[in-house]
Amino acid sequence: MPERDEELVLDRLIHEPGRLAILTVLSSVEDADFVFLQRTTGLTKGNLSSHLTKLEEAGLVKIEKRFIRKRPNTNVALTAVGRQRIANHWSQLERLKNLSA
Amino acid sequence: MERRELESAAATYAYLKGLLGIPGGLLAILAALGNWEWGPLRHTWVFLGAALALGAAALLISRYYAEHYGRVTLSRAQRRRAAAAVIVGAPLMFVAALLLRSRAGWSLDLPVNAIPATFALLMLATYAAGAVLRTHHVIIFGSLAVAGLLPVWDGADPSNTGLVLVGVAIIATGIFDHRLLVRRFGPPKGLKLSNAGA
Repeated sequence: MPERDEELVLDRLIHEPGRLAILTVLSSVEDADFVFLQRTTGLTKGNLSSHLTKLEEAGLVKIEKRFIRKRPNTNVALTAVGRQRIANHWSQLERLKNLSA
Repeated sequence: MERRELESAAATYAYLKGLLGIPGGLLAILAALGNWEWGPLRHTWVFLGAALALGAAALLISRYYAEHYGRVTLSRAQRRRAAAAVIVGAPLMFVAALLLRSRAGWSLDLPVNAIPATFALLMLATYAAGAVLRTHHVIIFGSLAVAGLLPVWDGADPSNTGLVLVGVAIIATGIFDHRLLVRRFGPPKGLKLSNAGA
């Protein structure tokens, strides 16, 4: 039993709803910019910015700041580690859901 | 928001940039008017100029979407699916149109309007492949397919009328697609947007 519990430990960094939404959107695309992430997650600029900083520090996303037509643009993509961690997290959630069903 | 909804957000966005349908539909209508040598469109250069203007309008609309709803690069699998739909669908539509009605010896030469019929079926298949097929697509392109396949098109070549019907259908679908996009992602100025975050 303890081994089973250990297997089902959820990733606290990812489990926060805002970060889970960001990583889930990014897991289905190659990259997306700040505005698209704001639109899809419904987070405020400040919240999204803070979550992205945390995810970048943990090595789950790669942030590229660039200029498009002289305007600043923040582009975000999952790293290989981030892709792996979000996939694992969703499979853990599915397993939990199946266990409780 | 649900997992599936989040995962399909990019595909939904890519397919529902409906305002792009307006220049696309107008181009089809202008092509028909040009073929009919209607008014100033009897001059090829007028048609080319109008096509260029519509191209510029499409670029502006793309920019509008990028600034208000963001930029996203679809995954390789999604891009491959979209490319496959064009690479397979366009020649298939062309051959099907020739088969249904053309001067080719092997044509069935049926009294149908092949362009709207095949275009409608192609569009339905494309939306279905992108998992974004909605009721208004079925109604608009379903009606277009039925209109094209009704055996009432004997007589002169109905291709230009077909192009007009296609143009109107593209514009109507585009308007509904855009409304759906606004409902899904919010009004253009609904969020305090910034692209210089993080």
